[in-house]
This record gives sequence, C-alpha cells and structure tokens, in this order.
Amino acid sequence: MADHVVTLDVDSLAKQLEAALVTRQPIPPLTETLGPLTPEQAYAIQTRWTELRVAAGERIVGRKIGLTSRAMQEQLGVREPDYGSLWGSRYFPASGHRVEIPSDLLIQPRLEGEIAFLIGRRLQGPGVTLQHVLAATEAVALSVEVVDSRIEAWRIKLADTIADDASFGAFTVGPWSRTLLQEDLRTLGMIIQKNGVPATEGIGAAALGHPARCVAWLANKLAEFGVALEPGDIVLSGSLARALPAEPGDTFVVELHSQPPLTVRFV
Amino acid sequence: MLSEPEKKLFEAIVSARRERRPRAPLAQSLGVDLAGAYRVQAAAFAGHELVGYKLGLVSAAKQRQMGLDSPIYGRVTRAMLREGTVSLAEFVQPRVEPELAVVLRDAVPPGAPPGAVSLAIGAVFLGIDLLDSVWEGYRFSAPDVVADNASGGAFFLGERALPWPVDGELALYLDSELVAAGPVAALEPVAARVAWLASAVGGLCAGQVVFLGSPAAAAPARPGLLELRGPGGSLLLARLEA
Repeated sequence: MADHVVTLDVDSLAKQLEAALVTRQPIPPLTETLGPLTPEQAYAIQTRWTELRVAAGERIVGRKIGLTSRAMQEQLGVREPDYGSLWGSRYFPASGHRVEIPSDLLIQPRLEGEIAFLIGRRLQGPGVTLQHVLAATEAVALSVEVVDSRIEAWRIKLADTIADDASFGAFTVGPWSRTLLQEDLRTLGMIIQKNGVPATEGIGAAALGHPARCVAWLANKLAEFGVALEPGDIVLSGSLARALPAEPGDTFVVELHSQPPLTVRFV
Repeated sequence: MLSEPEKKLFEAIVSARRERRPRAPLAQSLGVDLAGAYRVQAAAFAGHELVGYKLGLVSAAKQRQMGLDSPIYGRVTRAMLREGTVSLAEFVQPRVEPELAVVLRDAVPPGAPPGAVSLAIGAVFLGIDLLDSVWEGYRFSAPDVVADNASGGAFFLGERALPWPVDGELALYLDSELVAAGPVAALEPVAARVAWLASAVGGLCAGQVVFLGSPAAAAPARPGLLELRGPGGSLLLARLEA
C-alpha cells in the first residue's frame, strides 16, 4: 500500500481528467483503472488538477460541497461529504433572474438546487461551528449547480468524484440576500420545475441537517490542508434535492422560499 | 500566582465539582475579593482554549443586591458547548436560563466604542445556559460566584441567525411547562455590554461567542425536553437526561 501511494502519478491523472473535460470524452473510473484509492490520494489528484488549471489561467472563485444528503452518502457508502473548487470559467451570471448554460461545455450534466454562502470573514478550522459560519457569512443566495462527471456514465465511487473536482460542472447564483441569511435555513423549501412540470422538491435540512453545517464541515476539512475560507469566497453548500439530468433545450425553474425564481436554460 | 486564600477557594471549588457536592460559600471568610476571584477563575482555565464568555448578573437590581456596579463574566470552553442531549448527572446543582448569544465576526479590542462593537457582532442566536453553581442553593457573594466561573455549566446555541435588533420575548419550556420568560429588551444595550466585557478580559477575538445573560430568573433543571422560543418564531431544542 505504501508503494502504491508513492507510485500514484497524480500529475498524469490530473491531465487525464483535464483531457476528458476539454474533449468531452469521459474516462473509465480511476478506481477501476488503478484499483482502490484513498480519499487523501483522490484529493491529491484534485489538487494537482486545480493547480494545472490555475496555471493555465483558471480562477478559483469558491468551493462546492458534495455528498451532503443521506441518500447520496448511502449510495456511495460514505459518511462524509466531499468538496471541490468552483472555477470562474464555469460561473454563469444570471441576468433578470435568467441564465443560459452552454451544453457544449458539458458531458453528462445534472442540475441541483442549493444555497450559496458569500463568505465575509476568514473561516479557519479546526473548530468551526455552524454558528461561526452564520456569523462570518455576508449573505446567502439561491444557487444552481450543474454537476458533471468526467467519469463514464457517472460510474463513480467516492475517490472518483473527489479526484474529478467533486463532479463540479458549472454554477450560477441568484441575488445575494442578507434577509435570507436570517431565516431558518433548515426549513427553507425549494421546488424545481423541468420544462414546466414539477420535477423535485427539497428543503434546507436535506444538507447535513443545516446548510451552514456543511460549510462548517468544509472549513474544518480544508484546515487539514492548511487552507481557510476567505472573504469573497462563494460556497455552494450542497444539493437540497435530487439531481435532474439536463439535455440541450431543457428549461428549469428553481424556486426557493422568498427568493425570485431562477430560470436556467440549457442551450 | 494565587495567594493562599485564593488557593483554598480554588481547591474548594475543584473538589466540590469532582464530588458533585454543593458546599457553603467561603470567599468572604477567606477574605478573597472580586479581583482575587477572577484570578481563581483564570487559574481553573489555564491551558483551556476559550471559545467565548458568559455574562452574569446583568440586571441592575441583581447587581445592587450583590453590591456590584457591573455584570460579571465567566469563561466558555469548547467542551461546554453542547448539542442535543446532556446528562444532568454531570452537574452539581443544574439550573436553566433562556438567553441570547452573539458570535463575533471581528475582534473587539479593549476600549472599542459601541459602534465598532455593533459592527463586530456577526450574528445573534438563541442560547440556553445550563447553570451549575457549587455554592449551596445558589446563595453566594459576588467573589464566590465569580471564582466559580459565574456558575457556568454547559450551553446550547440556536442554529438561526436572528434578525437584529429585534423586540420580543424569550420563553423557556421544560416538558411544555413555562419555566422562565422575559423580554429581550432586558439584555440591552448589547453593544455596551460586549464592550464592557472586551475591556474586562483584555479584548475579544473574532469567532468568540458571548452569552448575554438571562432576562429571567433561572429555573431548576430536571430531565425532559427544553424548548426555547424567541423572536420571529425562532426555536432551540435540547434534551436533559437523568
């Protein structure tokens, strides 16, 4: 096992993921090609991939948290969330509460509704609690994450998705709200309509019981790598409902309690 | 360094907690004053990471009764912050109080003006203070209670950042019986109180929590479901076990 750690070529694996992203040709699961990988090894691949992207001009604008629902954790047989980086090149700002997502950037996209946090004060773990997160947050917003997988047919195990930037694809956020920050985030209800038909519903508590608890988990997890959440970081705190497959031409309307609905069209 | 009388007070508190046996107050007979009592409190927490503080005796009437002209404070460690269920067997004489707590997003240096303190408050939460005094029947002098960490036992925090400032009431139920209630206004002026604390402790750090005290008298704790209701439909639940 020790030899395995030493010989893992994170650079080459990161480049394979980048090639899959750019060519939109997914690759077989790393956990099939290489055998079992630890989360630490998978994060090492993710980190290397991020470094390569940043070196090529990418901007990291925040973080995403995945595997926050009991259903997703059970599906992958894990008891912890995971995280990835939000790429500036994959941020699609909404205009008039509408946004178009170019399908030709994506492989096998799925849409998720979440609550985004705009970090106002540095959050450095360990020991960060959800109250720290709420105190350090400037505002929250309805957000939509498009998850995507560079792994064939989403055949992912935990290490596959971690290495693959936690299956990040693209994202948008609604207007930042300080009022929403003072609501009970656990009880916020969300509805997603797909092509005019109700497709799924969610609730704040679906993400580890409280969206801010997910952000606290992230701050404490990042501390293991000597990293903090910084002012201006955007954090997508985790899906509140089932992920919905998205095809070119699909229109989703995502509604969160008290917020203007966000219309997302895949073109 | 503690003086001999301060050491005796310190040891009396430590042994009362260890044996979970209340005892008669003794600061006055030992001649320990308020400053000495704070030294005793500090000695009990040497080497502990403080996540914050609690304010006690916040009402002017209580302060007069105790011969004080300010509140008192106690220290809060990470281990004192609880969620969910707490066993009363851990405590000597547990009581419960409805409170509010602020979490700071910026440091508050000593002498910070109230406006700067208001800006430093990141969020306000419901809080429950599970008090625990080693002094029999909570009959104590100010130095006794200060040396005993302002009766700090354990704390619960709400999970919702309350709209602030806000009017309203804190109402604490134990198994659906109203055991303590009072107006939020009794905890004002919050910024001035946090400013006082910052000066008293030599500055507060970003991320620290300050429990602001209770607008109502503490109620005896017993096993059951604690339900704190506050402004804007806010709610904090905790379970007390035998």
